Amino acid sequence: MKKMSLRRLSAIAAVSLSATVLSVMPAQAATTIKVITPNYTDDMPAYYADLNARFMAANPDIKVEHTNLSWDDILVKGRTLVATDSTPDILNLNTFSDYAAQGLLYKAEDLFDAKTLADFVPAFIDNSKYDGTAYAVPDLASARMFFYNKQMLYTSGVKKVPSTWKQVTAAAKKIKAKYPSVYPIALPLGSEEAQAEFAIWAGGNNGRYFDNKTKKWVINSKANVQTMKYLTSLVKKGLTQPSPASTNRTDAFKLFSQGKVAMINASVFFPSTLKDYKSKVDYGIAPFPHSPRGKSITLGVQDYFMAFKKPGNEAAVKAWMNFLFQPANYAGFLKAAGGFIPATKSASTAVDSSLLPFIEQLPNAIFYPGDLGAWPKVAGTLATQLGTGVIYSPKSVLNKIQKVAVAAGTK
Amino acid sequence: MTALDVGAKGAKVAGVAKKRRPKNSILNALPWIGPALALIIAVVVWPAIELIKISLTKITSAGALEGFNGLENYRMLFENPDLGAIVMRTLVWVGSVVSITVILSMPLAQLINQNFPGRKFVRWAMIVPWAASVVMTSIVWKWMLELTSGEFNLTLRQLGLQDQPVDWLRDPRYSFFVLIWVAVFVSIPFTTFVLLAGLQSIPNDIIEAAQVDGATSWQIYRGIKFPLLRNALLIATIINLINVFNSFPIIWALTRGGPGYNTDTTITFAYKMAFVEYNMGPSTALGVINFAFIMLIVLIYLRVTKATRGQL
Repeated sequence: MKKMSLRRLSAIAAVSLSATVLSVMPAQAATTIKVITPNYTDDMPAYYADLNARFMAANPDIKVEHTNLSWDDILVKGRTLVATDSTPDILNLNTFSDYAAQGLLYKAEDLFDAKTLADFVPAFIDNSKYDGTAYAVPDLASARMFFYNKQMLYTSGVKKVPSTWKQVTAAAKKIKAKYPSVYPIALPLGSEEAQAEFAIWAGGNNGRYFDNKTKKWVINSKANVQTMKYLTSLVKKGLTQPSPASTNRTDAFKLFSQGKVAMINASVFFPSTLKDYKSKVDYGIAPFPHSPRGKSITLGVQDYFMAFKKPGNEAAVKAWMNFLFQPANYAGFLKAAGGFIPATKSASTAVDSSLLPFIEQLPNAIFYPGDLGAWPKVAGTLATQLGTGVIYSPKSVLNKIQKVAVAAGTK
Repeated sequence: MTALDVGAKGAKVAGVAKKRRPKNSILNALPWIGPALALIIAVVVWPAIELIKISLTKITSAGALEGFNGLENYRMLFENPDLGAIVMRTLVWVGSVVSITVILSMPLAQLINQNFPGRKFVRWAMIVPWAASVVMTSIVWKWMLELTSGEFNLTLRQLGLQDQPVDWLRDPRYSFFVLIWVAVFVSIPFTTFVLLAGLQSIPNDIIEAAQVDGATSWQIYRGIKFPLLRNALLIATIINLINVFNSFPIIWALTRGGPGYNTDTTITFAYKMAFVEYNMGPSTALGVINFAFIMLIVLIYLRVTKATRGQL
């Protein structure tokens, strides 16, 4: 009896033990990763839903919690999550360098093998480096060009697409005279992307934010002040939409798509945006106008995928990132994102012909100093403050931003 | 036994009870106030202490804490050349929204206190802007005031009152006033209903007595209703002060505080510094100052309610 009970007891113990082990085992092996990405277009959530379903089927021990956010939201929310310790495992964003500087990110070489890494376009992977090491990978890139409404330009008597600042002013005046209710040129200096709009105009006047040779911030340089003065003159003459300082890029796109703006600086994805808006505008594309002192440039902008170091997540984030960059999956990503320049060499061979004029501009591309840890802070201040340069004194506004940049440092 | 004796005895009993109470009163009360106290410590006191602690700490743009920093964050905040204008704007914002709201709500409360057919419907309709989410209301206004396709500009143009559309929300000459108007619009329902409750608590017989004595309705309002409304008016004003000062969604949804800092209050400015410009340090310092300001209003509120309770 005594023996019996002991045996029973041990049997029960063994059964219950194995039961616990069984129930614990899969829970221990399963890793959950949080992925946060912006919606380049409304097709992105569907693309990721499919991608993650296939990924989880192939990797039953990894669970993906995916959040799709609008660009507007991810800039604030994505960064807020990191700042409040709810860091995602994988983030797709337009900046990475301050996270790299603070040691939060995996190195690209820890995530990808040499062959995959070598497939990224060199210029783009170079822009993903902090202090000489890549801590992020490019997901796509954009270049920008000057878009104009053909019918409006030609019927207003503009014979040649403007290629200098002087010609822009002259053409704008003609359009204004012919179409009083049209805003000849859009100047979106609102907080969504003022730093891009200004970089384009200033770039054509040899103005930059950061001097790579002297390693100094040059936001209040003479060239930049001249640029701001020129833009202010366009505003003062009533050749832009009202209140450029608070007009966001998206607002300006809508105005162009409705035929209420005749000329605009826009990115490589703009044609697909116009299609989404069901715009009937017949548009042309040209290199950016420049000042007599400068030459035409384009602004190259790229976004990044980065993975945050967290205990036990390395294998899972590695698997997901590599899955995304498998050629077929990456092609789907580019398609859903809508008309961007691919970040890998292999995908570049199969681009749509409409991208070619933009790719041709890339040798003249200027980039943000995205490799500086201070860049996100400076970019944020540029975004909110640059626009006020056309309201107040150009010089004092640029001086103010320069002060913030200098305080943020050059690391 | 006379009535006086009973009174004296009662006072004596009360006196004994009073004498006994202080010894154990806090311990005795603890089981009742304990849970509430714990909640207040967890959700108010502790975060406030954390906030002050962080404001004295060096903090990176990714939110990592890097040790004690003294008053450096405060120094950076006060060195900001835009701070003065933003503080002034915040005072104008709170002052104008609250005063316009209260002034408009008083006649409205009178109106919906009258008996008229459809009163129920009017009261119901008035509560909607308050019941609806503020963000939703703000977005509806944003659409109405849109530059080229907004209903407001279209109507003005069709009436021939406008040749060029006005950019109500983006032009800094107008946007702040538009924000004030939307904030008033959102605050009126609550204020009106607080005042309505105040009006309904006035006993009818006083008003009837005044009517019998031949007082005009204006005299009744000036001499009876308005003085008796004082309490409701104070509460409405102070709760609005707190609400309007803390108001974030209206400004953020309509203008993001822009262009530049042109429509920022100290609340949106603190947020913008932290999460748009990634300038965490001075933002935490401003957070502490905002908190102190709210505490100040709450103290005034407590003082005022204590004073009026004594009077009534």
